[in-house]
Order: sequence, then structure tokens, then C-alpha cells
Amino acid sequence: MASDIPLNWFLYFAAASFSIGLVGVLVRRNAIAVLMAIEIMLNAANVNLVAFWRYYGNPPPGAGPLPGVILALFVITVAAAEVAVGIGMILLCYRRWHAADVDRYDSMSG
Amino acid sequence: MDPNLSNVDFRDFWHLAPAIVLSVWGLVVLLADLALAGRMSAPARRRAIGWLTLAGVALALLAAAGLMQVQQLAQAETQGTPGWLSPSLAEYFSRPGGSIFLGTLSADLQTGVLNVLFILMLGLVVWLSMAWSFTEDWGEYFALVTWATVGMMLLAASEELVTLFLTLETMTICLYLTTAFEKTRRRSAEGGLKYFVYGSVSSALFLFGLSLLYGLTGTTQFEAIRTALASTGGAGTGLSGNVAGATALLLMLVGFGFKIAAVPFHQWAPDAYEGAPAPVTALIATGSKLASFVALMKVFLHALQPWSHPSNELLGPGWLGVIAIVSAVTMTYGNFAALAQRNFKRMLAYSSIANAGYMLVGVAAASVSTRGAEAAGSVLFYLVVYAFANIGAFAVAAWLVRDKKTDDIDDLNGLGMQSPLLAVCILVLMLSLIGIPPFAGFFGKLYMFMEALNQQRAETRLTLMGLVALGLMNSVVSAFYYVRVLKAMFFREPGGSRRLGLAGRSIEIPIAIGALVAIFFGIFPGPLISVMQAAAVPMLTTSSGGFAATVSAPSGTGYAPLLPAKTAAPASPKSARPEPEQAKRYEARMKEAQAKASASASASPGAQPKNAPAAQPKNAPAKKAEAQEKDQ
Repeated sequence: MASDIPLNWFLYFAAASFSIGLVGVLVRRNAIAVLMAIEIMLNAANVNLVAFWRYYGNPPPGAGPLPGVILALFVITVAAAEVAVGIGMILLCYRRWHAADVDRYDSMSG
Repeated sequence: MDPNLSNVDFRDFWHLAPAIVLSVWGLVVLLADLALAGRMSAPARRRAIGWLTLAGVALALLAAAGLMQVQQLAQAETQGTPGWLSPSLAEYFSRPGGSIFLGTLSADLQTGVLNVLFILMLGLVVWLSMAWSFTEDWGEYFALVTWATVGMMLLAASEELVTLFLTLETMTICLYLTTAFEKTRRRSAEGGLKYFVYGSVSSALFLFGLSLLYGLTGTTQFEAIRTALASTGGAGTGLSGNVAGATALLLMLVGFGFKIAAVPFHQWAPDAYEGAPAPVTALIATGSKLASFVALMKVFLHALQPWSHPSNELLGPGWLGVIAIVSAVTMTYGNFAALAQRNFKRMLAYSSIANAGYMLVGVAAASVSTRGAEAAGSVLFYLVVYAFANIGAFAVAAWLVRDKKTDDIDDLNGLGMQSPLLAVCILVLMLSLIGIPPFAGFFGKLYMFMEALNQQRAETRLTLMGLVALGLMNSVVSAFYYVRVLKAMFFREPGGSRRLGLAGRSIEIPIAIGALVAIFFGIFPGPLISVMQAAAVPMLTTSSGGFAATVSAPSGTGYAPLLPAKTAAPASPKSARPEPEQAKRYEARMKEAQAKASASASASPGAQPKNAPAAQPKNAPAKKAEAQEKDQ
């Protein structure tokens, strides 16, 4: 049950996955790979939320029984919307530069 | 029915009236565009749908103003109610402000004032958008801009982390899309993509910090977080040695720092501001910044207040030191980078970054001052004045792009001779942004820096004085790049192949309104500053009093910060529903914790103001206790 896997392991996993996503955003050149890395980051935060909900004691009165889970659901929805918008933008940029390489998008300077 | 949950009071929806009007109107605008698409050309559709959107904005303004009026009427009646209000509504509105929808949104003077402001800004931006055709998809554009404003209104009202995140994303995603709307220019798509990538990464960082904060306190409501952090033991150990807490705080600062364009999270601002069509930039620079600052003040000055400066060291464990450093770097970088800019919108972007730095000084002051609400109110005043001046400035940029296809500062050459009246208005705007009396910008800076100097904790005095000195020096530096605009207008001959045409009503009105606001609030700053200071009180102290029956509070044992040897307390979520007797004990303990927190908070100097408006929140727990007795 809840005492099988220590909470810390979930948190370390989420932190590691978040760092992987962050490094991915900074290092990857393909715009869609950057988008995937952002998704990894958002899902790491989701793992965090659900883990805290699962291992936390009594939820406060008036809060309902599932605050962490509901928040994670909302985050998934928002992440989906964000990806839809992001793909649209990448398409726009691709049509102008004929490349999905973020290093090439540098028409403005200063 | 689950005894743990309180019922939603459906009369709370009345407070959402402006947001509902605008959301529905966005759909109306979309449908209208669909209906007109085959029958009208794009410029004609631009005007038709623009006026339709303005009609919706007027309706929303009526709703917001009407709501404030009804509240005022109902609360002022000592006996009897206004005849046209049903008795239950009259009783509902006569309660003092507080949180609605089970404590997720607030509904008080602050939200009323900010709603009106956001709707006014939306109206000006929509009017400005009708100036020229930068896109063909007018229905989508006006709908997105409207929905972004809905996100802003709800963001300024949110009292809880979930609502904060959702409304932040609503506003930001709509703004990402509208930034990329100018399909004929490559820079628009590039600005949009850069805004999007930076924004999504900072949202993810913010969300991670949010999840850690939820884990540390067990709740997402600002008031309950504050109680948890102020209590002793568990989550209330302060920031010293609390790695998880410090991480959560820094990550949330990253998220907010991106939204307000503070250094080093500012990289998106110049490109996004330059790439976006000028009306969209106006909305990003004014509405989005105002909403984000209000949210930042709510989170940092209300929820995370116990972590602001608990020790006696100069930059002790607490976020005051971090905000001070960020503020100093932001001011300096923004101003010096703006000196080198030749593009007008890019210069305004860097000026926007610098202004965020000034406002962070106000936030830092509000955290330690004994007059916290006054300091926060001065930040709000500065934001309002800055917002209207900026809308005027971006209207000038729109004019330049419309007629000359580029928006360099040199394109303003000779404007003084061509349209002297408008040039004088632009002069007023620039002087207000520099902070020269008697314009409103001067009073904004005066109030903010005065509040920063006007506090009584000796150990933070050095930090705040240093910040104020840096702010004043930076204001001098900023004069150089604003005056460059004036030099181009009045002392240069017009050049270039294209000439600036007549401005037309859509551009004249925002510039004129910006100048009028700068002049009027420069001569009479008093009323606005007192309104803003009154509005800041509920912003910083909203408890659940008034509308909601209960606010969620953490249970007795807060979650301990991460330590390798400890494992978490064994969880039994199945038994998480306390029986009614236990619920009574919970509430008794929660009331006790809140009373202790407010007593200890008022004893320490860095706390809420003790003057008359503060009596209202103290009444609120009493009224809440009454409501609970009635419920049980």
C-alpha cells in the first residue's frame, strides 16, 4: 500500500525527469523536440502533485478528497492545449523559414 | 452528500458577470465573423467586427460597474433593501467582500476596480486594432483578445493556486496566439514562437514550484498556505534549512518573473514585443503585466508572507533578498539596454522591463513595511498610470507601422510639425514615463519610493534605501532614451520615402486618453491612490469571510521538508473523511490557528496595517464562525 514505495522516490524521480526536460529545452534544436521536453517537464510536476496527494495525511475539511489529483487533471488539460497552440506556431515558423531549427529563427536582433 | 464538502452558492455567479459577458461575447464575435466572411471584404469586416466587440466591451463595463454599484447600495442600506433586488440577492450582496466559489476566487473592492480597468484596456486595444489590417482573421483575433482579458480578470481575482495556474495559462495562451497573428511578417511568427517556448518553460517551472508548495503545506488556498507557513513546526519552520521550500519559492519566482519580464527571465520580451502587432503588444505590456503583478503580490505578499523576511540578517533566509537583487538587476539592465535601441517597439520593451524593476521595489517594500497595504496600493497606482501611458505609446507604434511599414524611432522625425496636437500628447506620455512632474508617472514613482523608505525595520532599511537610490538613478538614465523620441519629433526634419498619414480616430483616441490620464492623475493623484490603497487591503488579507462557508486549512501535522532519513507519515486516504465531531474539532483548531496567526502577525512589525480597513478581516473570522454555527 502506501508504505511500500517511499515518497522520496517519487519526488526524486519527478525532479530527475524535470531536469531531463529542462536540459532538453535548452539543448535540442528541433522545435518539436523542445515541445516534447516541455511536456516532460509538465508531467514531472504532475507526478509530484499526485505523489504529495497520495502520501499526505488528511485533506483539510471543505477541500474534497482529491485536491492533488484534480489539479493534475487540470494540468494535463492545459498541457494539451499548450501543445496544440505550440504545434500551430511551429507550423507558422516552418512555412517561413522552411526549417524547424530554432537556431534559424533569428530575424530580429538586439 | 459528502459531509466534507460545502455547497456552492449559485449566487456567486453574479460576481462573474463581466467575465461571463466577455466569454460569451467572444463566441458571438466568432460567429459574426463566420456569418460575414463571404459577404464583406477584410477591411470592412475589420470595422464591423471591431464595433461589435466594442459593443461587448461596453456591456461588460456596464456589468462590472453595475455590480460594484449594487454591492455598494446593498451594503450601504442600514434598513430595508433596494426595491428591485430580490431579498436573497440583497442579503447576498450586503455581505462584505470575501471569497466566492468555496474560496477559489475573491469578490471585493479589488476585483471590482481591476475588472473595470481590464475592460477599459481591452476597449482601447480593440479600438486600436481597428486602425489597420494586419490580419484577415478578425473574428479569431477579437475573440482571442477578449478571452485573454477574461483570463486577466480571473487571474486578478484568484485566491488559490489551481485557479491561479488555470487563469494564467488562459491569458498567456491567448496572447501567444495573437502575437503570431500578423501573417505577412516573419517577425510575428518568430516573436510568437519565442514567447511560446519561454512561456511554456516558465509555466512548467512555476507548476513544479506550485506542486512543491502544495506538498509542503497540503493546501492550495492562499490564506491556508499563509496559516500553515506561519504556524510553528512542520511547514512553519521558515526558510532556513528548508531546501524544498526555497526551491518552491524560487521556481514560483521564475514563473512570475517571466510574466512580468524581470531579468533574467526577460529574453522573450524584446522579440515578442517587436514581433507582435502593436495592439497585441499594448495588451501584453499593460493588461498582462497588471494581472501578473496582482497575482505576484497575492502569492508573495499574502500566501508566502511568512517567508519574506523572518530573520534579522540583511539578506536573510526569505524572498526579500532575492526580489531585491532581481529588482536591482532588472532596472539597470532594462534601462541601459534601452539606450541602444533604434526600433521603437523594442525600446518600449526594454522600458517595460525596467518598469517591472521599479515595481518590484514596491513589492519588496510592501513585504516589510508596517504600511503593507499602502505600499501595495502604490504599486497598483503605478501600474495603472504606466498602463495607460503605454497604450498611448503603442498606438504611436501602430501609426508608424500602418503608414511607414517600419517602426524605428527615426520614423517619428518631423511629427511635431505635421500633427502638433498629437505630438504634444506624445510628449506628455514620454514625460510621464520618465517620471517628470506634474504628470502622473512622477506621482507613481514618488508614492512607491516613499513607501519603500517609510518603514521601520532597521535591518532592511539599507536594502530598501539602496533600491530606491538605484531606482532614482535609473530614472535619470531612462530620460535619455525617452527624450530621443522627443528629439526625433520636434527637432528633426521628416525624411524617408513614406510620410505619416493622418492618424485617424482609432489612433488618436488611445494617445489622447493616455495623455489625459497622465495629466489628470498628475494634478489629482489623491482619489486614485486612495482607491488603490483601499483595494490593496482585501488583496493582501482576504480570508474566507463573507461568502464562503469554510476555507480549507491544513490538518494538524504539516508535511515535513524533505530529509533523506525520514519517510512520510503513513497515509490512509480512505479514512480521510472526518466524522462530524472530528470536523468540529478541526474547525476549532483551525480557528485557533488563525487567531494565533493573526495575533502573532499583528505583533510583528512586518505585518498588515492596523488601521480601520483592517478591522474588516478581523470581523470576517467572527462572521465565519457564525456561519459555521448556522451550518451545524
